[in-house]
Amino acid sequence: MQPLAEPVSRLIDAFAQLPGIGPKTASRLAYFLLRSDESIALNLAKALEELKANTLFCSICFNIADRDPCPVCDDAQRNHALICVVEEPLDVQAIERTGEYAGVYHVLHGAISPVEGVGPDELKIAELLQRIQAGGSAAPPDVDPAHAADWTLLHPSIQEILLATNPNLEGEATAMYISRLVKPLGIRVTRLARGLPMGGDLEYADEVTLGRALTGRSEM
Amino acid sequence: MTFLTHLSLTHFRNYAHLDLDFTHRLTLLQGDNAQGKTNLLEAVYLLATSKPVHAQTEREVVDWQAQEEPIPYCRVAAQVRAGEGERPLELEVIFTPRSDGLNFTKQVKVNGVGKRSMDLIGLLRAVLFLPEDIRLVDGGPGERRRYLDIALCQIDPAYCRSLSEYQKVLAQRNSLLKALREQGVQAASPAVDAQLDFWDEKLVQHGAIALAKRQNFVAELDVLARQRHADLSGGRETLYVEYLPSFNYGPLDEGEYRRWRAGNRLGEDGMSGDAGLAAFTVTPEAVAQRFTRRLGERRRRELAAGATLYGPHRDDLRLLANGRDLRAYGSRGQQRSAALALKLAEVQAMTASTGSAPLLLLDDVMSELDANRRSTLLAALEGVEQAILTTTDWDDFTPEFRAAAQCLHVRAGEVFPASEAAQADGASHGGESPRG
Repeated sequence: MQPLAEPVSRLIDAFAQLPGIGPKTASRLAYFLLRSDESIALNLAKALEELKANTLFCSICFNIADRDPCPVCDDAQRNHALICVVEEPLDVQAIERTGEYAGVYHVLHGAISPVEGVGPDELKIAELLQRIQAGGSAAPPDVDPAHAADWTLLHPSIQEILLATNPNLEGEATAMYISRLVKPLGIRVTRLARGLPMGGDLEYADEVTLGRALTGRSEM
Repeated sequence: MTFLTHLSLTHFRNYAHLDLDFTHRLTLLQGDNAQGKTNLLEAVYLLATSKPVHAQTEREVVDWQAQEEPIPYCRVAAQVRAGEGERPLELEVIFTPRSDGLNFTKQVKVNGVGKRSMDLIGLLRAVLFLPEDIRLVDGGPGERRRYLDIALCQIDPAYCRSLSEYQKVLAQRNSLLKALREQGVQAASPAVDAQLDFWDEKLVQHGAIALAKRQNFVAELDVLARQRHADLSGGRETLYVEYLPSFNYGPLDEGEYRRWRAGNRLGEDGMSGDAGLAAFTVTPEAVAQRFTRRLGERRRRELAAGATLYGPHRDDLRLLANGRDLRAYGSRGQQRSAALALKLAEVQAMTASTGSAPLLLLDDVMSELDANRRSTLLAALEGVEQAILTTTDWDDFTPEFRAAAQCLHVRAGEVFPASEAAQADGASHGGESPRG
């Protein structure tokens, strides 16, 4: 068998490292790029290059962004007194897609799981507390007086922490841990409701979910 | 009213392929040692409990010859007739190799649809009798917890769920306690509590349900096992089965509890004496309250140990005959009787709480028993809807018994119908036409 040209096999190996992509898909992708217009390959290369070079963590919410602060943290239209705490950046996307949420976010980058060696110190929990404590303070002297009103709008005192960690053991542990720290500060702490998925069928719901939906039933 | 009608094996232990119909209430499998009799019972047991017997690794379940094949999978499937007018069930457990080539993935299907292991348990209930059942009495506490867990899971899906949640919480809590110990934390502090409290709460939530269900099940077993044991011992001995918890949630005060734990008889005031403590029932709420208090009081000790010291994973079962702990003081014969009584009690308890008798799997148990125990065991077979027995020697069973049973001969991973001539021979040769 004729060996593959080195650049092709290198690309195939690189694709195969990605999650959900096996050797077959990897070679299909590589050959697609080989045969298609050069601009497609160059576009991809450029996008990949910029992915690492031009992204950073927002210093306020720790979401992945192209600038600091991120567009959400910098948006005066949003309610900055309401912080939604999530485990991963993808969770932000999920909540944004609902179009129901006008507050801001805080990304923990994980959940408490002692088995995996993840404790509160490995997560952005201390940063969340700092953010809460800093809320409502006067604008620092280096802020241009002309923008002081904007600054106050973006840094109000925090009214509510919405815990949107996953409804599994680790997510619950994280939510509980944070609520214990935040509640004594006199701030409202809420948790996402748990229950049945839309378009679902009662008879296929598992016992735990259905049980939660029963205990958490709401008035019509 | 479940009845196993068909068993199909592919690459399971020493069976390359097997298709076997069960036609009678009783099935008798005869064969020499190491031909596959036990493996066949283990296959049925795997479908009932989703777990291999004796906590073998999954790798051991797959036929070693199949592991040479390109895709060394293993499949165990059964058809089960449920109650009158109900659709028959098809149960399936499949092992396929993981990409690491060492471990196997277990897949469970019911009527062709993928399910969790937990959902398989209880569809085909079975009680397995093994010659080494004596380990229930003379073995370690883990054997007895495993016995309780498998029996209860088949009876009560809620128990199975609580136990599985408990184990997840326990693993997390143990890791946390270990990490705290490594950090040199010796005493409780608000920072330590903030990390531990959630796991404590979940440990108590699931652990209290498991504990209460075990306690109440043992109270039931205690009465039933005592009756069965009286038959076995000719009324000469009285058996008590007690659940030994890792902390006191029962009716005793601390002093009494400690004396009872140490195996000392309590006073003659009626509470105990000969009778143990098994015969009380508890509610999960009552257990939860004591459990929470215990964890609070012993936080320092758990931090020092770096592990969870209280809860169902630390518990045991104690068997007493005439007031003596059989594990330490029982003769082999006494231990054997107690183990058999416990198994027979399990069959009865399962029948009572589910409304139908479990499938009995008896692996070469007759040879280990004397005439009196044999007849007690055979009497227990009268009441069940289906039983599969193995033996090396046809003569362990009367001609009347054999006439009422489907008689099969097992040789080198194949099953043949046994001719009457072969049975009369008393020899270990069966008919010649292979089945399946």
